[in-house]
Amino acid sequence: MHNETMILKHPLRVRIFHYLLIISFLPLALTGLALYFKPFAEDNMNLIMQIHIVTGGILSLDAAAFFLIGFERVILFIKRMFTISINDVKWFSVLGGYPQKFLFKKKVPVPPMGKYNSGQKLFGMCVLIGGAILIGTGWILWAFPHNLPRAAVAFMGSLHTFFGLLLTLFLPVHLFLGVYMFDDFKAMILSGKIPYHDAQSTSPLWVEREVMPLK
Amino acid sequence: MENNEYQYTESPFNVSRRQFITIGGIVVALLALPVVWVKYLATSRNDYILARTKGLYRDDEKAKIRVSHANPAVAQYYKDFGGKPLGGLSEELLHTKYINRTKGLS
Repeated sequence: MHNETMILKHPLRVRIFHYLLIISFLPLALTGLALYFKPFAEDNMNLIMQIHIVTGGILSLDAAAFFLIGFERVILFIKRMFTISINDVKWFSVLGGYPQKFLFKKKVPVPPMGKYNSGQKLFGMCVLIGGAILIGTGWILWAFPHNLPRAAVAFMGSLHTFFGLLLTLFLPVHLFLGVYMFDDFKAMILSGKIPYHDAQSTSPLWVEREVMPLK
Repeated sequence: MENNEYQYTESPFNVSRRQFITIGGIVVALLALPVVWVKYLATSRNDYILARTKGLYRDDEKAKIRVSHANPAVAQYYKDFGGKPLGGLSEELLHTKYINRTKGLS
């Protein structure tokens, strides 16, 4: 065992929220794609719809529970996502240095970031807004489709499809970059902790402004 | 479970009171607005039907002739041509038969 200095980046309740998000959103994305493209026979499509509904229920319960139990973390998350500075413009102008690194094995200067980099912020905004719309419209489409005017239900169906496809498109990018940043991946999936020196290089503003020694 | 294995943590609540109230207020408002909109949609769903019903009752109240047997034109038809109500000629001319026309639609 090494004695590396560690920071608790993702507390247990955040990790539990994320575990439930994984086991609900992955099947939701797959069944959502199947429901959109309808590649199977009717019986199988019905089964896929049932899985979609059950996992949608898990996702909404997860989100509602985290919203109620960890409301202050939701506020903090929103603050981080929607705090935009010139650094974000600079980050997007070099796309975080990832294409240069992957394609040309070249390291370009990247502006200092907080807990989340600008790409993660954009993803977070989409998850926050899109997720809320998906949960809301999903419940209406399943539970109350006949209580509202047909045009309104059709509009909600279009919204559900649009944001479902958008977040599903984001998913492979999120998974790839999540695994690529392996220390962060381990922190979110396993221990919650990240080495101090890694955090200093990936999230220097977070370490400088928000991280404090344990009393 | 997590204790003694890390030496640093993030500030537990890095949001000022003003930011908390502002962000919290916006979040609650953004969650409440769609609920109000959906409630309005649900309650106004039958507005057209209710307006039509109201209009029909209003027309009925305004009408001079409100039942068919008091209609002079109908009375004249029976007197000059149809004989008596539910008679053979009237039944043949005025009554219709049920035909299922939904088969051709699907």
